[in-house]
Amino acid sequence: MTYKVGIPQGLLFYDYYPLWKEFLNELGTEVILSKKTNKTILDQGVSNCVDEACLPVKVFHGHVCDLKDKVDYLFIPKFVSIYKKEFICPKFLGLPEMVKNTIEDLPPIIDIEINLRKSNLNLLKAVIKTGQYFTSNLSKIAMAYNKALKHYERYLDLINQGIVPIEAVKMYNLSLKRNKSFNQNNLNIMILGHSYNLYDEHISMNLIKKLQSQDINVLTPEMIDTDQINQHSSRLPKRMFWSFGRKIIGSAFSAIEEKSIHGIIYVSSFGCGIDSILIDLVERKARENSIPFTLLTLDEHTGEAGVNTRVEAFIDMIRWRGKDESNISTHG
Amino acid sequence: MKNYYLGVDVGSVSTNIVLLDEEENVIIKKYLRTQGKPLVILQNGLREIKNEIGDFKVKGVGTTGSGRHLASIILGADIVKNEITSHAIAALNYVPNVKTVLEIGGQDSKIIILKDGIVTDFAMNTVCAAGTGSFLDRQAARLGVEINDFGKLALKSKNPVRIAGRCAVFAESDMIHKQQLGHNQEDIILGLCQALVRNYLNNIGKGKDIQGPIVFQGGVAANEGIKQSFKQALNTEIYVPKHHDVMGAIGAGILAKEEVKSKGKTNFKGIDITDIEYKVRGFECNDCANMCEVVEITSDDKVIARYGDKCGKWTDSINTNDEKLA
Repeated sequence: MTYKVGIPQGLLFYDYYPLWKEFLNELGTEVILSKKTNKTILDQGVSNCVDEACLPVKVFHGHVCDLKDKVDYLFIPKFVSIYKKEFICPKFLGLPEMVKNTIEDLPPIIDIEINLRKSNLNLLKAVIKTGQYFTSNLSKIAMAYNKALKHYERYLDLINQGIVPIEAVKMYNLSLKRNKSFNQNNLNIMILGHSYNLYDEHISMNLIKKLQSQDINVLTPEMIDTDQINQHSSRLPKRMFWSFGRKIIGSAFSAIEEKSIHGIIYVSSFGCGIDSILIDLVERKARENSIPFTLLTLDEHTGEAGVNTRVEAFIDMIRWRGKDESNISTHG
Repeated sequence: MKNYYLGVDVGSVSTNIVLLDEEENVIIKKYLRTQGKPLVILQNGLREIKNEIGDFKVKGVGTTGSGRHLASIILGADIVKNEITSHAIAALNYVPNVKTVLEIGGQDSKIIILKDGIVTDFAMNTVCAAGTGSFLDRQAARLGVEINDFGKLALKSKNPVRIAGRCAVFAESDMIHKQQLGHNQEDIILGLCQALVRNYLNNIGKGKDIQGPIVFQGGVAANEGIKQSFKQALNTEIYVPKHHDVMGAIGAGILAKEEVKSKGKTNFKGIDITDIEYKVRGFECNDCANMCEVVEITSDDKVIARYGDKCGKWTDSINTNDEKLA
């Protein structure tokens, strides 16, 4: 019998989906995805989650609701740390528990702990434990994981070439060669924020496509080279021990210092604790280097007027700054 | 017949209409409460203008505000601009060397920083409407004071009380507490003005380089108490333009003039639009789980606009209809 394993399209989905999917497929299971975030998923998430959680965590709960009756297992690993001496947000640490205690009638959850804070060896343990849900053959598990890693590397490669994860996730296992170089005449705008806010088209109100349709090259933290990120984030006076923080700060500082961008839009979900520090750090750095910065705070709002106005005004301002004053006859 | 440019700002609280001449002088202005019926108010406003100044020719139309797209569909706008750009352009027109624009409207507030006549930085309030006109509206209603008298009363205060301004709910409990202690109304009102200014400067103005000349505009600029509090907090002169309440519309009018100058003609559908009956209908599309709230505007059973859908199915279908008709 082929087991159906459900993966919710939320939180770390855009960070790891190809790896998870290929690994689970190689183990002989069928992977079922929840639908893309929509109003129903959002509503279900909001009503099935503690009130204090941030929007993406609520949305994740909605995805679980969407999946729970269609699958034999739910894949919700307990992410504690993905990098030595670092943590990720505490809400990920308690995610499987949060889901179990608020949503009823769930299928069994694969909630293997992933904690690389002390040693990378723990990753191997997590891989084996996950594999053991479906087979007792250790070499089969190892082979499945290695194959999955290859696909995952291709996915990361695509993103490094400047392809937005929303697109890359659709094409990583096609053997297409696509070198997407940025159009030199376009504005380069960096969109900062957590992957689960940026690439969820419902939460971010399709921000990336909106910008791209206005001849703007969109740069995101995922597209910046890891070495660059580590190098730039290590210059902070105190070590950034949040993995998300290291990535956002490192990628932002690298782009600001290389002067490769015309502006930064930070997308944050209301109430994010890590963002409250990151936003300020990035804004100060941008200001020092005269790079325009704006913040979009998102929550349950579905009216897009507020976001559209801010983005439109921001792009207007950058284009206006780019021109000579003599070109604009604002004084009549 | 006189030639004028029409600027329209459809905001959450007010719908503002101005006519500008070639020299960008305001010929007539209308500040109307939107009351959730932007289309009707817009038509009424235009009709009033027509009755007051007789026939005129519109050479160009610009729209701004959160209802700018709706207004543009009805009027046939030449340019549709966001509020930041419109307000900045209008402020520059009155104070050419302006460096900071403080704008407080009904549901949003903004700060615009300019350098050499170019917007270099701006910020708008985030999720909540604290620090905006509706905050004052609410508190005035609670105190039983007309919002128009609010500013005058504030200026009478000698000893303002401190009120928490971060959130309207906190402010209310703080205010009631101060009332119970026996503070008089003027002191509480000025306290509220100072709370709003403190909130504005700490939230929207955070980290911004606020330099003079400073222009204060938007509906709330009519409030002397707020102006006074800004002056005190920033320790500089605050300039409130004569037409501070319709600056967005003026900006849109100026932009329309520029646009028509380069384009050579206007898209304006004619002043007769005041006599057309528009029906607005909203429906929830149930074709997918997004359940978008689609808005449809019709006149004479003909659909003239649809919007609000994420996938573009409804918006696109109207465009193809148009082509068939043409």
